[in-house]
Amino acid sequence: MFRRRRRPVRVLLPGEKEGRRGFLKKGLLGAALLAAGGGSAWLATRKTRVRPGLRRLQVFDAAQLTVLLAVADRVIPDHPGFPRPADVDLPARVDAVAAMAHPATRVELRRLVTLFESGFGGLFDLSPRLFTDCDGAAQDRRLRGWMNSRIAVRRTGFKALKRLVAAAYYGSPATWKAVGYPGPPVGAELAAPRPPAPAVREEPPPPRPRRFRPAPVGIEPALPAAAGPGTGAASGD
Amino acid sequence: MAIEAPAGSGRILTGAEVRRDVEERPDVCVVGSGAGGAVAAARLAELGAQVVVLEEGPWHRPSDSTLREEDAYPRLYQERGQRATADLAIAILQGRAVGGSTTVNWTTSFRTPDRVLAHWARVHGVEGLTPEVLAPHFAAVEERLSIHEQPADEVNANNQALWDGAGALGWQRARTRRNVQGCANLGYCGMGCPIGARTSMDQSYLPDAVLRGARVYADARATRLEYKDRRGVAIHAEVLDPATGRPTGRKLVVRPRAVVLAGGAINTPALLLRSRLDISGRVGKRTFLHPVTAVTGLYRKAIEPWSGAPQSVTCHQFADRGPGKVGFFVETAPLHPMLAGMSLGGFGEAHEELASRLPNLSALIALTIDGFLPEERGGEVTVDGDGRVRVAYEVGDAVWEALREGSKAMARIHLAAGAEAAFSSHEETVEMRGEADVARLDRAPWERLRVELFSAHAMGGCAMGRDPDRSVVDSRLKMHGMDNIWVVDGSVFPTSLGVNPQLTIFGLARWAAGQIAPQIR
Repeated sequence: MFRRRRRPVRVLLPGEKEGRRGFLKKGLLGAALLAAGGGSAWLATRKTRVRPGLRRLQVFDAAQLTVLLAVADRVIPDHPGFPRPADVDLPARVDAVAAMAHPATRVELRRLVTLFESGFGGLFDLSPRLFTDCDGAAQDRRLRGWMNSRIAVRRTGFKALKRLVAAAYYGSPATWKAVGYPGPPVGAELAAPRPPAPAVREEPPPPRPRRFRPAPVGIEPALPAAAGPGTGAASGD
Repeated sequence: MAIEAPAGSGRILTGAEVRRDVEERPDVCVVGSGAGGAVAAARLAELGAQVVVLEEGPWHRPSDSTLREEDAYPRLYQERGQRATADLAIAILQGRAVGGSTTVNWTTSFRTPDRVLAHWARVHGVEGLTPEVLAPHFAAVEERLSIHEQPADEVNANNQALWDGAGALGWQRARTRRNVQGCANLGYCGMGCPIGARTSMDQSYLPDAVLRGARVYADARATRLEYKDRRGVAIHAEVLDPATGRPTGRKLVVRPRAVVLAGGAINTPALLLRSRLDISGRVGKRTFLHPVTAVTGLYRKAIEPWSGAPQSVTCHQFADRGPGKVGFFVETAPLHPMLAGMSLGGFGEAHEELASRLPNLSALIALTIDGFLPEERGGEVTVDGDGRVRVAYEVGDAVWEALREGSKAMARIHLAAGAEAAFSSHEETVEMRGEADVARLDRAPWERLRVELFSAHAMGGCAMGRDPDRSVVDSRLKMHGMDNIWVVDGSVFPTSLGVNPQLTIFGLARWAAGQIAPQIR
């Protein structure tokens, strides 16, 4: 048997192990992000200056929300007609989006934000500055560096950050005017007349296998609105 | 304490109504209420079976639709709209509601292409599934769902661009057939039709099943299929709170005589893997996605890509590109602010500038037809220790080539239709203002996470075929090695389809129900 040839370009970040399962099967953002845990003692020596007014929410703490708001400020820079991310309450919206993810994904998202802020990106690019301490041009370079990185997991990280802030920002009705979107149709448009709903097609039922119990035909009256989704009384876990 | 539910009272129940642990003993338990599960349930009920359907998603009524993306994606899509391949390279849009993806898809309806059925027979040992066998089932479904061609005067500007551009280039084009009745062409199919005009499963086959006594449990997540020897004996499910989506603590156990798995190409393999039911090691293998990339056209005239039926024109000029090549077909995608903001390339000033032109943007999509080349393995669905479903999919060279050529074709369509410029889906977008620019796509990076990809068509993972070592179910959709478990959803496809899959799944399910009914014992 031949020994398996080593992969030529496989950059391992500190704390990352080459598992027997392929990269693609690892966590959402790849095991590389665990590096943030490995470097945490060092990272802890540098603190994000929290933006006033931010506090811990469901997923992210105030420092992480500061980072995400800073990312949003570069993804959506000042542009005529576009509200500032802070003005559409982006931190709360971003946190709400992240809160919908699987608990393990939420952990990965927190690590990603911390890692991105630190600039601690592996063996290359040991940039000493916190993302939130950089000026706009340097922040754009960091974002672009991740977006175009040779290391796929960093491109994944960029994608996650961009999707998170873009979903939170453009999901807000306050941004619709900037993109020329009138909003969904309401009222009269929805009340346009239409034919009745399709009826059950009547056709002679095929012969029934004998061993079945007869299936009674009949439908319960429509459920009261109070029983519908969104009104369930039971509490979550 | 478990109670046994009374037989025969057909209805749809939400998680809020299940206040005690419940045990059901129907003839058939159908797991999943989408294109496969609903049609199978209705047909089996019609054939006299007592049916229980389990659906993880909520029961979303038309009047519940707010038509806002921020509400619709978390409520009606898998993983709250965040499903993607493990590396985030391909976003996967898949419905999660009573009616499954049929409650949010764009209504495009094609019968299975003959050449696909022939390929399955020749290469994958699928026996007896011919156009002639399926034709009566397609016909019945098409009548029930009012599937018809979109009238020419109801093609929106986004689709008209595809029609005009393909026409100017002399390429094949056609108006699509849609499963709608009384459609007002609002443009919000993807957020749940607010007027119930789409004949999605919750508006058609599920009511049919309920009328014949079937009980449909919404907010009921199947967690495990219990089996003994060659029989599936129970489906264990947890009841979710419809308000929060979290388990209420109530349990639902269904002990049927026959099991029909219809959770779709990702959740069905996941359920089997969680249940440790993978006899040949093929469960979750050969997952195909029709990987999609978009090219956006910027027009002087108004397009308003959020308005009008989302898909009404299709171009299959390049579906068959000859040996060794992956084919593709071109359709359109509606654009609303949130999806546009997430998917337009890059960030910053240029991204905002393009977003601000939303009313003048038209989005074409090329769907690559993966799984037909001998070397293509597709993706893989696995389940992690922390409970998450993983979809790994490595885009192969031939698919990349098709995505590149598809992007060129789409750029040409836009330019032929009068667009000022066309933009590729790269993070560093390629802007094309004339034919000379199209060649720049050859130099663009065709590599994961440098170009936006998505999928709305998850297929495979429980492939059908004759050989138990190479497939999961036989040509009658029964699991190899098991006596009473069938898989009736898009996961049984041995390859992708080359067309939007819902009608194929409807037809297969109706046909399969006729195979299943006589075997219930």
